[in-house]
Formats: sequence, C-alpha cells, structure tokens
Amino acid sequence: MIYEIDARGLACPQPVIMTKKTIESGKDCVVIVDNEAARDNVCRMATNLGCETDVEEREGYFRIRVTRGTARKEKKSVAPATGPTVVVFPCDRMGKGDDELGNILIRGFLHTLGEISPKPDVMIFFNAGVKLTTEGSDVIEDLRALEGEGVKILVCGTCLDFFGLKDRLQAGIISNMYDIAETMLSAGKVVRI
Amino acid sequence: MTDPEPFCVILFDSTSEALLAEKLFKKADIPHKVIPVPRHLSSDCGVCIRFSARDTQRVKTALDGRVAVRSISPLD
Repeated sequence: MIYEIDARGLACPQPVIMTKKTIESGKDCVVIVDNEAARDNVCRMATNLGCETDVEEREGYFRIRVTRGTARKEKKSVAPATGPTVVVFPCDRMGKGDDELGNILIRGFLHTLGEISPKPDVMIFFNAGVKLTTEGSDVIEDLRALEGEGVKILVCGTCLDFFGLKDRLQAGIISNMYDIAETMLSAGKVVRI
Repeated sequence: MTDPEPFCVILFDSTSEALLAEKLFKKADIPHKVIPVPRHLSSDCGVCIRFSARDTQRVKTALDGRVAVRSISPLD
C-alpha cells in the first residue's frame, strides 16, 4: 500500500518534515505538493536519505513518488577520517576582531592543546602564524612541550624569510610548500585556527 | 615539561582586567603565563594568569590598587 501525504497548502518546511517522518518510519509514499519549491525540497531531502523520487506534474499540483530501497545502498557513508590530524595556524592570533584578545586566545588555545588529548599529529604555521614559533613569542614553551610529546611542527620557510625571522626560530622545523601541501592533503582532518 | 614548583592562578572579573594585569606582571618582571581558567575553578570561558606560588606577594604588590582581583588560588 502506498501511503499518501497531501501537503498542498502547507507552509514551507511542513511537506519536507511529513515526508521525512514517513520515510524514516520505513514507508514508501506519494507526496502531493502545490508548488515547485516544495517539490524540489522534498525531492532533495528524499534523495539525501537514499530514496528515489519520481515526479508527475498534474494540473496545479505535483505528485512525488518516494521509494526507499534501491538507492539506499548508494547513500554516502562518511568514511571515518583515517589520516593524521593537522592543525594550521595562518595567523598569530585566534579569530578576527581584536588583536589583543586574539593574542590571549591563541595562547590559551596552545596551552590547552598541551592539556588535552588526543594531540594533533602535525601543526603547520604560515604567514603571520610563524611569529608564534620565533623569539619573543609567548607560546614557545607550549610548542616545545607539544613537540616533546611527538607533535610535528612545520614552519613555513618562505614566511620566516619574509618576516626576517629565519634565524630566530625557537620551535619546530623549517618547512616548505611541498611538505605543507602534502601534509594538508593527506590529512584525515585539518583544523584551521 | 611541567615545573615541579607549585603554581597559583589569579582570576579577574573580566578579560580586560586580566590583560591589564598581564601588563603589570611584565612591568614587574614576574614570570607568568596567561591560561584559560581551569575548569575546576570556574566554568566561565575566561582567562587567568598562572604564576609561581612563591611570587604571590610580589603579584599582590604589583597589582595592588590597579586591578580588581577576584581570587588567587593554588593550582593543583
């Protein structure tokens, strides 16, 4: 038996919600809607849930047949991230808005990384982020402690050079764009600060 | 990695007071670290300043009359 949902005249998310509930309760259904937006929204949601949809246009309304099953296997299962966790620092602050606050936040963040687990596998510093790794930075001890726990710290050489900081590096190793790009692309997860 | 000597943390009523206090720490040349307030002290998303317990008196002197301090507690 095909379960029929007459969603004509119902406001925006309602047809989608009714259809979703029906699909989730394990039934195929026919949804009747009276506008294109509702048709598209219902179809998109159903497809995302792994259903097939078949739309018939009638006079003044659409009949959408929603069938569970066949397409269900194709539903994308999100593969768990398997590669390393990479945290990137493009800036010596955390967030935008106020620099002084951003400085406090990044120091707090790096302190906290030392306290929690799991640790990142790699941390990459580029652009103004490299200033965190050089003389005068407030987080050198945190970075060294993280290195001591096996976190790999890559610092962009071009950036150190640009800021005239190449001989002031206090934590991490000078790296290049090949390493940086490869590390980011082979990561299971990239966290951008 | 962690210093064996005991630490204290000093809490403030606002982030801007913590920032101001940090400047006074620097001025008085007292070793310190700005850290997020430990969970067991407060669930606020605040920052506090950690320092060596033996500097407690210096800290009090440096901040006296300049910044309102909420509390100073030993850090376990």
